[in-house]
Amino acid sequence: MSEVRAISIDNAVGLKLFGTLHVPAVRRPDLPAVVLLSPGVKMRVGPGRLYVPLTEMLVAEGYLVLRFDFFGLGDSEGDLDETMLADVYNNIEVGRYVDDTLCALKWLRQHHGCSRFVLGGLCGGAITALLAAERDASIEGLLSIGMTVTLASNAAAPGKFLTDSELEWRRRLYLKKMLQTKYWLRFLTFRSEYGVIWHAMKRAIFKPAVKPATAAPGAPVEQRGNANPLFPRAFLAFLGRGGKALMLFSEKDRLLSEYQEKFVTPYAQTIEPHLPQLHQHVVPNANHVLSLREWQQELVDVSRRWLSDQYRALTNERA
Amino acid sequence: MSTAPATKVQAREAVLNESPFFFKAGSRQLFGVLHLPDTGAACTRAFVMSHPFGEEKLWSHRVFVSCARALAERGYAVLRFDYSGAGDSTEDTADTSLEMHLEDLGAAVAELLKRCPGATRVGLLGLRLGAAYAALFCERIAGDARFARLHGAPLILWECVTDGDAYIMELLRSNMATQMAVYGEVRDNREVLMARIRSGVPVNVDGYDIGKPLLESAGRTDLLPAGPMRHAGAVLVLQIAASAQAKVRDDLQKLAGNYTKGTLARAAEQPFWREIKPFYGRANELQRVTLEWLEQNDV
Repeated sequence: MSEVRAISIDNAVGLKLFGTLHVPAVRRPDLPAVVLLSPGVKMRVGPGRLYVPLTEMLVAEGYLVLRFDFFGLGDSEGDLDETMLADVYNNIEVGRYVDDTLCALKWLRQHHGCSRFVLGGLCGGAITALLAAERDASIEGLLSIGMTVTLASNAAAPGKFLTDSELEWRRRLYLKKMLQTKYWLRFLTFRSEYGVIWHAMKRAIFKPAVKPATAAPGAPVEQRGNANPLFPRAFLAFLGRGGKALMLFSEKDRLLSEYQEKFVTPYAQTIEPHLPQLHQHVVPNANHVLSLREWQQELVDVSRRWLSDQYRALTNERA
Repeated sequence: MSTAPATKVQAREAVLNESPFFFKAGSRQLFGVLHLPDTGAACTRAFVMSHPFGEEKLWSHRVFVSCARALAERGYAVLRFDYSGAGDSTEDTADTSLEMHLEDLGAAVAELLKRCPGATRVGLLGLRLGAAYAALFCERIAGDARFARLHGAPLILWECVTDGDAYIMELLRSNMATQMAVYGEVRDNREVLMARIRSGVPVNVDGYDIGKPLLESAGRTDLLPAGPMRHAGAVLVLQIAASAQAKVRDDLQKLAGNYTKGTLARAAEQPFWREIKPFYGRANELQRVTLEWLEQNDV
């Protein structure tokens, strides 16, 4: 019988982080431990309990799984100072919870003899996993669900930073809405996102300008748009040391087009040698949080296959 | 735009006495966190907190945590727990029902009393559907000697759901918003979704499946009794509105009036159980009104 234990971990400043450790009935010693990192301000079960079926699959496959709450979130100790959600997200995207993550790995090493790790997570959990991997080489795999490559504090001006594919999708949606009275009512009573509407609809009048390639990480802020300058550096370093990643995205999530347009396209040549280390999968029609059961099941199935491929291959290499 | 890694980390200030654990409700396993005052003395007063349904639980989680800590600072033992089908507890949401959740609440009260045997009064505090569960539980155990320690204890109902049918309709609106975002149109309207649930096929709302058992048990217009309520302790019915001048909700006024010791109050807060732009680590006004009422009524 597998077992779940309520646990707590002290972080670097002595705050208690609460979580659950999921112990398989038969733990396979050749497998790394998996740590699922909380997305945004949601706690360790994920939105719509997304991490619950994922954990069940991992435990059934023999992985030791840890889920925990970062400081100031979920059940954990500590408080956050921010008053706006976007600012909380922004601070996560620049690495606020890397130290908590490294403390969790240390705890797994000390108490459960773990030496190798796969880190997984949705959105803020994914970027935290990557930034932690930049500092800890024992993180050998990323199970990334909706990796975010931008900074959320720009949410105040959403129209300005939308990708071409999202603007095009919105333009088609607005055209459809123009035929419905209730949306005109919304538009005329100042409840619409006028900036976004303008950026999307002007494409029907003006030819979209050809955008320059995304600036390098060291470029000035004004050249970077809303791209997170920490992402390319961390991701390329991870790939450079042989790390492997499942990059799973939802089709109807802006994060997919952001990843493509703000990272894959401008860095195409740099990442080309590392493509065998990356497995990208897009869940058709799914939204950001993979709320429907069939989307969650696809996440589980794809993750199982990817892990199986990685660890069968690693076992052969070591043999 | 800030890209500097956040280095400001708040160190531990107050000593918190909190322990996470699993406990049983029949064959189900529930997750809970017990908050105890750091006085070392045995607690005589306690609370069990009853969280709202679905994603509302996650959005409001830190408000619950900070309120539990504030109560513990004032000498209360507080148990927060996850209902079946929520958080770290077992079961699929689609299989849960009002009955199951009331059993969970009873198991949580029993667990609290096992861990804090000195508690002579155990109050309940709930939000949204969790408030309705707390109110219904108190009605159910009103004459039950096994729960005597709840009978005269405070009952706090934050933005209580009184009409279960309207509440389910509100949840289904969220399903339709998802359809709109994904398909660009609403393919299944509320009537179709309701018929689907009634036929035994769950409908997903933000990742949580609403099944027939929950719809039939909680999705009723008369979720809470319309007449006099039996709970003998003091009851705070708290309306949460954007401003303290907001119109008083008729249903909440009636609910407060149905209790012998019922009080209706209002707290100016954003609807923190939904996704809103502010980050709600705590609900200061709500907490202030609640604690002040408690000081006057739990003596």
